Amino acid sequence: MPVKNRFAELLPQITAWRRDFHAHPELMYDVHRTAGIVAQKLREFGCDEVVEGIGRTGVVGVIRGRSDSRGHAIGLRADMDALPIHEETGAPHASTVAGAMHACGHDGHTAMLLGAAQYLAETRNFDGTAVVIFQPAEEGGAGGKAMVEDGMMERFSIAEVYGLHNAPGLPLGSFAIRPGPMMAATDEFEIVLEGRGGHAARPHQTVDTAVMACHLGVTLQTIVSRNADPVGQLVVSITSIETSSKAFNIIPQRVTLRGTVRSLSTELRAMARQRVVEITEGTAALFGGQARIDFPEGYPVLINAEDETGHAAAVARQVTGDCALSPMVMGGEDFAYMLQVRPGAYIRLGNGASASLHHPAYDFNDEAIPAGCSWLAQMVETRMPTV
Amino acid sequence: MPVKNRFAELLPEIAGWRQDFHTHPELRFDLPRTAGRVAQLLREFGCDEVVEGIGQIGVVGVIHGRNGPAGKVLGFRADMDALPIIEATGLAHASTEAGKMHACGHDGHTAILLGAARYLTETRNFDGTVVLAFQPAEEGGGGAKAMVADGLMERWNVDEIYGLHNMPGLPAGSFAIKQGPLLAAADFFEITVRGRGGHGAMPHLSVDTTLAAAAIVQAVQSVVSRNVPALSPAVVSICGFMTDTMAHNVIPDTAKLTGTVRTFDVAIKTLIVERLRAVVATTAAVYGATVDFEYMDGVLPTINAPDQTEHAIAAAQSVAGAVKTDIDPSMGGEDFADMLAVRPGAFILLGNGDSAGLHHPKYEFNDEAIPAGCSWFAALAEQRLPLAG
Repeated sequence: MPVKNRFAELLPQITAWRRDFHAHPELMYDVHRTAGIVAQKLREFGCDEVVEGIGRTGVVGVIRGRSDSRGHAIGLRADMDALPIHEETGAPHASTVAGAMHACGHDGHTAMLLGAAQYLAETRNFDGTAVVIFQPAEEGGAGGKAMVEDGMMERFSIAEVYGLHNAPGLPLGSFAIRPGPMMAATDEFEIVLEGRGGHAARPHQTVDTAVMACHLGVTLQTIVSRNADPVGQLVVSITSIETSSKAFNIIPQRVTLRGTVRSLSTELRAMARQRVVEITEGTAALFGGQARIDFPEGYPVLINAEDETGHAAAVARQVTGDCALSPMVMGGEDFAYMLQVRPGAYIRLGNGASASLHHPAYDFNDEAIPAGCSWLAQMVETRMPTV
Repeated sequence: MPVKNRFAELLPEIAGWRQDFHTHPELRFDLPRTAGRVAQLLREFGCDEVVEGIGQIGVVGVIHGRNGPAGKVLGFRADMDALPIIEATGLAHASTEAGKMHACGHDGHTAILLGAARYLTETRNFDGTVVLAFQPAEEGGGGAKAMVADGLMERWNVDEIYGLHNMPGLPAGSFAIKQGPLLAAADFFEITVRGRGGHGAMPHLSVDTTLAAAAIVQAVQSVVSRNVPALSPAVVSICGFMTDTMAHNVIPDTAKLTGTVRTFDVAIKTLIVERLRAVVATTAAVYGATVDFEYMDGVLPTINAPDQTEHAIAAAQSVAGAVKTDIDPSMGGEDFADMLAVRPGAFILLGNGDSAGLHHPKYEFNDEAIPAGCSWFAALAEQRLPLAG
């Protein structure tokens, strides 16, 4: 079975939804317009239940199949939030909100899941329940975690959960997936080095936090180059260094460093977190200063379950005839929280030769919509075939 | 078929050869005693041909199967050289050569292949030819490359090539292998940093070579941590740091840094070499020093061919039952890669049990692994070159 014909018919309409979301991007949990439209459409499609406000602004729609002999429910998830980026696509549907942009294709993910929901509500050719999940705050706000903590899985008896993400560089409308770890755990840290500020002409009376910070930036490189097993995958990046004073003649009292740790295994993640702390405290002590580290645990490693990855790849092959083995990627994804509590899989959908994710010239490619919608709908029909 | 019974009978004798090699370690291409003993034993076994001096001092033995010289030719390789390490095992058969030691188990590899040769000449239960290659200078001397350059593959029409290496930490006599990249390309570099030496009390009159070299060691860390993609395994290690004076009050004129680069991929290696050159030169320039950067290509990555890996697994399964195939590649290097670069083949790891690590002064080859190692070579010959009917 190739792409479902119904989605060819629905394409102009789904594309219009997508471009409307694109023109009106919303950030983090403040996705009221988007979530409102999603809930309204789900009701129009005839979903059996539409619940708003799960995980603050998340929306859940329930579509019951023709029968429910096993009491099985499958979750399909999309993300709704945009990014704080100033758009440079020049597209007619470009963002109308200054400094906000759908630069990660969540507009496309949301539109595709709406399309699949419309089809599933129309046809109901499955035995069980489809739960469509629209989450806020994927970009750094852990919206997926918020929905899980709000009891979504239990409340809707979700047994398996699936999601997709568009992938620039992957042939348009094609699929790629891999079992096991596929996307990185993303931890972010903020380090404040405290010294003793003073006059730049009398450094001997100070504890120089600028020198301390520069040493720290260099020494942190050794976590990847010296501590990590080279066969593993780990990134430690310092992304920002900011002195408390910007003057030419003041040795700053404190310096703030920010950065991220990306890892594809729990062991490497734990090692890197520990080394960041040890090196920071050691370097501060070396120069007679003090360090404070704010290092919350970020998104976990996204791990695709073995069996569910097989189901997802099989359906991708039904839709397009093929499914590639995805490489691991160092990007993070908060769908990992849903995969921590339910077996499931996350698949990548080719966005063709577009600008990369989070780039101001990026745009979701609407030609990928029929493949994405078909995969979502077919996951439900294949995993819960009619009796 | 488990371990072949014949090797249980031969074990004391094979272990005797192994321990004799252990007592008399020889380095690089300078191994006349070991190579001479190998050639002598091969002749005693009744090999059809024994040729010395391939790749300077390597030894080749030829064993035809029951039907004579026709058919496929399998190459089996072992390495003979030891390491410049002072042995600390305290064993009865410990090295009698000061500063030399079989700390990588090549004594065991050579003895295992001799044992297999003994069995294969006795039984000849195969249809084709087995070519035994005993190579010198695996430890940084390019012995495999030397034998290949000397026509090893063409002269004896070798179709496929197989080898093994003992592995501490893996249960004794068990096997582990993976298809594709198994061991890394291992290259070496030497950086000579030239400042301007002077009195330690008057650094302002000098260009401090030590400081420039230390800065280079730090700056080089960024090549792996910043330039190499996180999904590509790579290592850059600066291991040696030698100033030209050890005095407490002299700023040295030159310092030498020595190190190694480990990669699996030519593009990554090229990237690392380019970055090393740039980082080393510019860091030296920051301190007013200059550098000579010498990069020496070492061994290629060890890449196991798909079909031959399957044959190696089948033979190992027949010997040991289960074979571990879910191993990660190792950043260690192995010059058998130079043979795998010209012929399809496979390299398998043979468990050495709970021993000290390779290249450790307390390392010792585990003779209990001998029957499994010998049986693997013998099974490969009999399964890859089966007799008709």
